[in-house]
Amino acid sequence: MRVILESKVRAKPNLPIEAEAIIPRNFLKGTDLIVYEGNKERTLSEMFWIFVEGTAVSPENIEVILKGDTSRIKRVGEYMDTGSIVIEGDIGMHCGNFMSGGTIEIRGNADSWLGREMRGGTILCRGNASHYCATGYRGEKKGMQGGKVEVSGNTGDFCAEYLAGGTVHIHGSAGDFPGVEMRGGELIIEGDATRPCGNMKSGSCVILGTVHDMLPTFEKIEQRVLPEWKVTADVYKGDVANRGKGTLCVRS
Amino acid sequence: MIEHDVVCPFCGCLCDDLELVCEGGKIVKVQNGCALAESTFMNDVRLPSPIRRTESGWEDISYTEAIKETAEILQGADRPLLYGWSSTHGEAQSIGVHIAELIGAVIDNTSTVCHGPSILAIQEVGHPGCTLGQVKNRADVIIYWGCNPIEAHPRHMSRYTTYATGFFVPDAQRERTVIVVDTRRTDTAGIADEFVQIEHSGDYAVLSALRAIVRGKASVIPAKVAGVSKEQLIRIAEICKTAKFGAIFFGLGLTMSRGKYKNIRNAIELTDELNRHTKFVISPLRGHGNVYGSNEVFTWMTGYPFAVDFARGIAFYNPGETTAVDILRRGECDAALIVASDPGANFPRAAAAHLAKIPTVVIDPHVNATTALSRIHIPCTAAGIDAAGTAYRMDGVPIRLKKVIDRGYPDDAEILKKIYDRLNGGKEL
Repeated sequence: MRVILESKVRAKPNLPIEAEAIIPRNFLKGTDLIVYEGNKERTLSEMFWIFVEGTAVSPENIEVILKGDTSRIKRVGEYMDTGSIVIEGDIGMHCGNFMSGGTIEIRGNADSWLGREMRGGTILCRGNASHYCATGYRGEKKGMQGGKVEVSGNTGDFCAEYLAGGTVHIHGSAGDFPGVEMRGGELIIEGDATRPCGNMKSGSCVILGTVHDMLPTFEKIEQRVLPEWKVTADVYKGDVANRGKGTLCVRS
Repeated sequence: MIEHDVVCPFCGCLCDDLELVCEGGKIVKVQNGCALAESTFMNDVRLPSPIRRTESGWEDISYTEAIKETAEILQGADRPLLYGWSSTHGEAQSIGVHIAELIGAVIDNTSTVCHGPSILAIQEVGHPGCTLGQVKNRADVIIYWGCNPIEAHPRHMSRYTTYATGFFVPDAQRERTVIVVDTRRTDTAGIADEFVQIEHSGDYAVLSALRAIVRGKASVIPAKVAGVSKEQLIRIAEICKTAKFGAIFFGLGLTMSRGKYKNIRNAIELTDELNRHTKFVISPLRGHGNVYGSNEVFTWMTGYPFAVDFARGIAFYNPGETTAVDILRRGECDAALIVASDPGANFPRAAAAHLAKIPTVVIDPHVNATTALSRIHIPCTAAGIDAAGTAYRMDGVPIRLKKVIDRGYPDDAEILKKIYDRLNGGKEL
């Protein structure tokens, strides 16, 4: 089954919409769902033109497609466990929060907190992702715990903060403090990064571009070839300011 | 007439030993106060009555009319923002939170542009702090990091640190070692025993290096970290480790430079590390008189200290998403109520520009830069001058602000309560 949601023109286009109801499973029972625009409750049909093609008996066969101006729609795919969501343009904050299964594809850019506290499944962002990509919530001890986030473009600051499991793969560059407070999982940045892995406890990070302002508390262990990337890298242990047992590999 | 033990409401020190000479309902002299206190009490020029913007300028309106129009603006909004709160008393702040809950607004206080990052860091790793009295009586090592108390908190050093005689530190000036860390040589740096000049945005690296040295990993640290030599870092770590009681105070140089809350987190973790060797505490130097109080009031009412979004009927908190600057910059909010603060002067241009586009109401005793962006300005009492109420000092100690004179203005809590009652269909709070 395919559900196509095309955003309607709104009187106040800057108002955020909170749409945690948009997950494939919810469309099994129809499209009578509630979203929130600012402090007002709205039905899904007030905000979107809804087109449904075919039928489905289980949620894994449901594909939700978002079209139009979706850059202010928050929480799409929150607690999603199966099925797929395709966003043709940009998406607002908190896309794929707490996701445990299924796939989300974003063809445009993603706003902050993409895949926050994610546990499983796959997020693919073809454009750039903003700050706090694949992280946790304020004050939480664990960020992303499983699954995969792949960003074709760049990310903002604090990417993969508190990463505890799963894989984060950034094809472009990351901003300030990628992998800060990392305690597990794998972070790969193909481009540049600034001050990576501050206060890291565990986990591994590979940076293939240039590292700006490398922190003084990483201990160089060796130089070795990373076969999967076919490059020679300096391998650091850290962060020694913490009882860090993390690994940071930076292309030599 | 001389009023004794008056509390100055200007900065987070809330000095409570001022003496004011009042004559004919006016304050004519301020004793014991700093230059900032004197200006607060003496240059208190108020707006005479509520004003409303017209096509050609401003017109005077009555309080009833101003309150009615404010309530209408807030009632019709889809994403109202209630911002400020830090220069008024807790009684007014609590009504603000009630209004936010009633109309599904976002309520934020000035921590969002000052010590918000400190709060984020405290939420991650906790706050090893103490009251200023403890520092005064016990601390023999004082670190001022990214702050300049001589200019911003002029009596901090004489009341609590460098020049204050303490029970266990009888000869304060000789016994207390003062370390100042800053990017430039400030006035405070001039009186420091050890001045550490770091490169701009180098705080995080220096704090990490100090942590590593205290942990016994000095061998990893390079010869220079953000412009500071390794020898100096080792010397400072040694001073801290051998202190009887150390206190770190930090300001916006740490919270608002690159890295923000991660800088504070690192400073707190350094404090944590030092506590394995001696007793060490860390505290922010808060700006507005009652900004700590706004955090307290918001927390006991909503569970969160600032940036609370009631759009869904329940409190949601996520700085970066629900903070005033971000909501304004993204052009989300469609009405704003500014109480006891001046975002027009302090916010980034894009955020302030949006305030001018939407109906903005200011409730503040004084005309300020936000007045120029607003639609209505309602003058009120100034907490600590002509209104009594509760304020919290920078170390979390509640202090009762006194009403020294009467200038005939209504209390802002009273104005806010009338707005609340109108929004609630006439039912009283």
